[in-house]
Amino acid sequence: MGRYFLRKLGIYSLTFFVAVTVDWAIPHLMPGNPVLTLMNRLQIQDPRVAQHVYHHYMRAFNLDLPLWKQYWYFWVSLVHGDLGTSILQFPSPVTSIILHAAPYTLGLLIPAILLSWYFGNKVGALAARRKVLDNSALPLSYALTATPYMWLAILLSWTLAVTWHVFPVGFAYDPTAIRGLSWAFVGSLAYHWFLPFMSLFLVTFGGWAIGMRNMIIYELESDYAHYLEALGAPQRLVRKYAFRNALLPQITGLALVLGAVLAGSLVTEIVFSYPGLGYQIYRAITNEDYFVIQGIFLFIIVGVLIANFVVDIVYVIVDPRTRIGMEGGRS
Amino acid sequence: MRIRSKATTASAIALASLVALLVFTVGGAGASQASYPRSQTLITSGTQWGNITGFNPYGGNYAAGMIGLNLETLLRYNPVSDHYINWLAKSATWTGGRQYTIVVRPGVKWSNGKPFTTSDVLFNLRLLRFNTSQWNNLYLNVKSMTAKQGKVVVNFKGTPNYVQWQNAMYNIPMISPDQGKVITSAKLLTTYNPSKPIGTGPYVLDRPGFDPTTRVVWMKRAHWWAADQKLSPAPKPKYIIDLVNTSNTNSLSAVLAGVEDLNNNYLPGVEQLVAQGKVLTFYKKAPYHLSANLAMLEPNTTVKPLNDPAFRRALAAAINVNQIVKQDYHSLVLPASPTGLLPTWFKYQDKAAVKKYSQKTGTAVAVALLKKAGYTKDSSGYFRNKDGTSINLDISVPQGWSDWETARDMIISSAKAAGIRMHAVVKDFNTWQADRNTGKFDLVVDNHYQISDNPWSYWNGIYHLPILNTGAGQQNFNFERYSNLKAWKLVEKLDKTSPTKTATIMSINSQLQTTLMKDLPVIPLWYNGQWAQFTSKYWTHWPAAGTDRQFTPIMWGGYLNMTGIDMITHLAYNRGT
Repeated sequence: MGRYFLRKLGIYSLTFFVAVTVDWAIPHLMPGNPVLTLMNRLQIQDPRVAQHVYHHYMRAFNLDLPLWKQYWYFWVSLVHGDLGTSILQFPSPVTSIILHAAPYTLGLLIPAILLSWYFGNKVGALAARRKVLDNSALPLSYALTATPYMWLAILLSWTLAVTWHVFPVGFAYDPTAIRGLSWAFVGSLAYHWFLPFMSLFLVTFGGWAIGMRNMIIYELESDYAHYLEALGAPQRLVRKYAFRNALLPQITGLALVLGAVLAGSLVTEIVFSYPGLGYQIYRAITNEDYFVIQGIFLFIIVGVLIANFVVDIVYVIVDPRTRIGMEGGRS
Repeated sequence: MRIRSKATTASAIALASLVALLVFTVGGAGASQASYPRSQTLITSGTQWGNITGFNPYGGNYAAGMIGLNLETLLRYNPVSDHYINWLAKSATWTGGRQYTIVVRPGVKWSNGKPFTTSDVLFNLRLLRFNTSQWNNLYLNVKSMTAKQGKVVVNFKGTPNYVQWQNAMYNIPMISPDQGKVITSAKLLTTYNPSKPIGTGPYVLDRPGFDPTTRVVWMKRAHWWAADQKLSPAPKPKYIIDLVNTSNTNSLSAVLAGVEDLNNNYLPGVEQLVAQGKVLTFYKKAPYHLSANLAMLEPNTTVKPLNDPAFRRALAAAINVNQIVKQDYHSLVLPASPTGLLPTWFKYQDKAAVKKYSQKTGTAVAVALLKKAGYTKDSSGYFRNKDGTSINLDISVPQGWSDWETARDMIISSAKAAGIRMHAVVKDFNTWQADRNTGKFDLVVDNHYQISDNPWSYWNGIYHLPILNTGAGQQNFNFERYSNLKAWKLVEKLDKTSPTKTATIMSINSQLQTTLMKDLPVIPLWYNGQWAQFTSKYWTHWPAAGTDRQFTPIMWGGYLNMTGIDMITHLAYNRGT
C-alpha cells in the first residue's frame, strides 16, 4: 500500500509542477500590461511623473526583469510561502485576498458537492426501482445535468432575484447587515448563499442521479444479483448489494467531477457577485492582476489535488478488492 | 464503511463548511445590533470596481468617499456654477507672480481631536516631493514653503504652473501628519494604508463594517467643523455605505428594489424609469444627467489616411452623432460641441471660430470632402488611399461597453455609407487600453479627459508632446499621436498664464479650438453624463436642475471634493419611512 501511495504522490508532485508552471505562464503571456491598468486610475498629468511611477511599479512587481527571472523568483517566493502582492489591490498581499475569499467558495462548494452527491445517489437509486420516479426524476435529471452552471445561475438570478425579488441579486450578505454572531446576520448569509448554492447543487445533482440510476439497473441485472434472487434472498438485500457496488464508480466520479464543479462555482460566483475565489479571479483576469490569478489558481490546484488524493484513499478503504489487491491477497 | 455513516459524514462536512463560512465571514466582529438603521443610512454604488484597496488617497483604487467624506481639500470646485469654494483654506490665492498664499481656516479639527494647522498643510504639500506623487512636477518648481501666522506661503522658482497648481488645490487630500509621518520615501507613499484614517471631513470609517469585497461604511462624526461654523448643513445620514459594483443589471435592480439610494453607473433605459416615477435624475428630461467627459473618436494620426486632416474632416462629417445620441442613448447624452469643450467650459468657447470652422455633416458632405481632397473610389465603391492602396480602418471600444459598442457599429455604418471601409476589432479593456497607449490602432472611441476647473486638462490631453514610445507610453495624453508643436506650446503657455490675464487665456483657448476644428486631431462625439440615478424612498432633496441644489450627484473619485459632498449635506430624511 505504501508503494501505491508513493507512486500517487509522485504523480501528484509532477502534476503540481506542470500545473503551477502553466499557472505562472498564462497570465504572463496575456496581452497588455497590468501596471498600465493600475496607472490609469492615477490620472497623472505630467509624463515625467508618469514615467517615474510606471518604473516604480514595474520594479515593485519584478515586471522589469526577463521572463525567466520572473519565473525563477516566482518559485523562490512560492517556496517561502509568499504568493506576492496584488497589482490591482496594491499593496494587499495575495494571501489575504485568498483567505478572505476562500471561505465563501468553500462554503458554496463543499455543501453543493457533498449534498448533491448524497441526494443524487439516493434519488437515482430510488428511481431505478420506482417507475413513477423514473419517469419524472430521470428527464429532469437529464435536463439539469445538461444545463451549464452559468446559464442556470443566470436563470435563477433573473427570475427569483431580479424579477420577483424573492432572493437578493448579489453579495454574500445584506448591505446593511452588521457582521457578527447574530441570527440576523446568519440569516442574511444563508439568504444570500441559497441561490448560488442551488445553482451548483441542481446541476451536479442531476448527474449523480442519472449515474446511480443506470448503475443500479446494471447491477440488478448482473449475475450475482440473479444468483442471490435464485437463492431466495430478499429484494432489500439484493438492492443493498447492488447499491454498494454501484457506489464505487460514483466515488471515482466524485474525483473526476471536482474540477468541473469548481469551474462551475467560479462562474456562479460571478453571476451572483458572490465574493469568493471565482469572483476574485474574474476581477483579476479582467485587470491582468498576475499575482492574484496565480495565487488563486495555485490554491485551486492544490485543493483539487488534495481532494483527488483523499478520494484515492477513500476508494482504497471502501473497495475491499483494491485494498486486498494492494496487500497482495486475492479478492 | 457503511452507507449510512458515509451519508452522515457528508452531511457533517457540509455543515462544518457552512459553519466555517460563518466564522470566517464574521471574523472578529461582534454585533451589538443586527443592521445599520436603513432610514438613517445612505447606500450608494457605482464608484468601486473590484475590491476596495484601502485608504491611501495616493493610490488609485481607494475606498469611495475617502476624499470628501473623510479627507478634505483646501479648496473645492463647483463645476455647475464654475467657482472655487474656500474649504480647509479660508482663502487660497495668487499673491504675486510667483507666490501663492493659503490662509488656513481656524477652528478645523481632525477626527482625533487635534486642530488642523499650517504645519499640517505644509506636511501635505511636502508629500509632493516624492516622485510617486501625481503632483510631483509641481513641487519641482517650488522654491520655498513657509508657514507663519496662520498662512502658508509658497514661492516658485520660475513662472508657476498656475492652472495645474490651482487644480491641485482642490484635489490634494489633507492627510493627518500623525498617520502620514510614516511616509518617508516615494515607495512608502504608494504603500501607505492606514487602518482607520484620520480626516477633517464629516465622516469616519466604521472599521468593523468594512469588507473589501463588498462595501465601505462611513459613520457620521458628532461634530464637523463646516457645520459648526455654519458653512454647510450637517449631513443627515448617520451612515454612508458604498457598495462595490456588480453589474448594470444588478445595479438597476438594486435601485428599483430600494437597496441603493444612489447609483452612479450608466443605466440604459433610465429615461423610462424617470417617466414612470421610479427613479430621479438631475434633469427631469433629456439629457437627464450633467456632463462628465467628452466621448471622442481618436484617430491614429500616424497611419494613412488618418494622417491627413482632410480625410479626418470627411470622416467626422460622415458620422451621424445625432443617431448615436437618439437611438443608442435615447437622449441620455448630449451631442458634443465641435470644439469638444464640456458645457462647464463653454465660457471659453470662441463662438466666431465655431461658426467659421464647424462643418456640415452628412454622407454627401463626407463624399464631397473626400473627392475634393483627391481620394478616389476603387471598383468596390470604397475610397482608396491616394497611392492606390485600399483603406480598411479598424475601430475598437472596450469589449462589453454595450453603449459604446452600439455607437461603434453606427460609426462603421455611417463611414461605410460615405465610402470609407471600416471594421470593428473586439478588444478587452486592457488590450484596448494598451493598444491605445502604444499606438496600435486606427480608431478608438475614448473619454479619457474628465471635467475639471480649466479646459487646460483637455488641451493637455490632446496636444501633449513629446510622444513617448517607451515605458508608460502615452499614459494620459495624446493617444492620437498628433504632433503640432505650435499647439503644444500654446498649451504650456496657458498653464503658465496668470489667471488675471483673461484676454490671453481667451486668446489661447480660441487658437486651440481653431486648431482642433481645422485639424481634428480628435473627433468630438457626445458628452458622457455624470450618471446618477436616485430614489426618494429613504432620502429626498437630491441635486436637481431648477433648485438651489446644483451639485454634482456623484461619488466617483474627485467628485465629492467638487460638490458631491454638498449633495450629501443637503439630503433630507423621507419622513414617510
